[in-house]
Amino acid sequence: MTDGARPALTDGGAIPELDPVIHAQARLRVVSALSVMREGDRIAFPRLQETLRMTAGNLSVHLRKLEDAGYVEVTKTHHGRTPTTLVQLTRRGRLAFEDYTAALHALINPKEEP
Amino acid sequence: MPPTDDEELPLVDPAESLRLIQHERANLVRELTPDPRLMYWPWGFAWLIGLGAFFLRYGPGGRVLVDLPDWLPLVLLMTAIISAGIITGVVGSRSSRQVTGPSSRQGAMYGLTWSISFFGLSFVFGQLSGTLSESQLNLLWGGGMVALTGALHMAGGAIWNDRSLFILGVWTSLINIVGVIAGPGWHSLIVAIGGGGAMIVAGLVGWLRLR
Repeated sequence: MTDGARPALTDGGAIPELDPVIHAQARLRVVSALSVMREGDRIAFPRLQETLRMTAGNLSVHLRKLEDAGYVEVTKTHHGRTPTTLVQLTRRGRLAFEDYTAALHALINPKEEP
Repeated sequence: MPPTDDEELPLVDPAESLRLIQHERANLVRELTPDPRLMYWPWGFAWLIGLGAFFLRYGPGGRVLVDLPDWLPLVLLMTAIISAGIITGVVGSRSSRQVTGPSSRQGAMYGLTWSISFFGLSFVFGQLSGTLSESQLNLLWGGGMVALTGALHMAGGAIWNDRSLFILGVWTSLINIVGVIAGPGWHSLIVAIGGGGAMIVAGLVGWLRLR
């Protein structure tokens, strides 16, 4: 894959590179949680924050980085009169997450590498 | 896993990263899935108690096994079913709060399907009161409603690719037929224990799986 931002698994049994965007522990947690949701489903910021047990400020910072990488889409909308912020993993984010877990598996057991 | 100060730092051990991924995924699944005990047990107990009372008052061959007031079984069953509907409605919508998209739309449509189809069937059966004997009417209502429940559980299994929900639907449909063949009175007993019991088991199994 030649996606630029996404390092692909390297051929020839070399140690795969790990995506720096989701390599940070906090962002890995965010992306892992979001990966459970079906494509098209969005979760409100406060509920995600509650589930991840992060502070609002901390989660915002990491979401912005993920958004900059195109991994996460943050939508601001209104639910009645209350403004709501909805978060979802983009297709690109999902692929990056899958690559990342594949790379981890490859690191643990190099034979599993495709 | 508690957030640490060095959240910007990657985990060094890939196995630990995989554990973290699993942990967060399981955590959100638990957060978004309604507690199976609260989704199944109210229905299981409603059937067990309500239909159990029907069996005791309107036993096989018209026998009265326990001399309950003749209105009591229906009132018990209806109260238990309405309470179960309220509990599962509240629990279901609480778990989908602050989540939008295809999944919550599916859930809302499935919930509406239950209400509308039960209303529709009650409406049809309601037209027949007075034309059948009491025991025939009990069998018609019991058999019809249980058949619909089985069908909706199977449909739920198909929608969410949930094997246990589908099996529950198949089981409910089968014991319903057995009960109808056995006749009025027996139907109540078979469905109370077989159907109500199966829902209690389904709630327990679902809960153990999520933990």
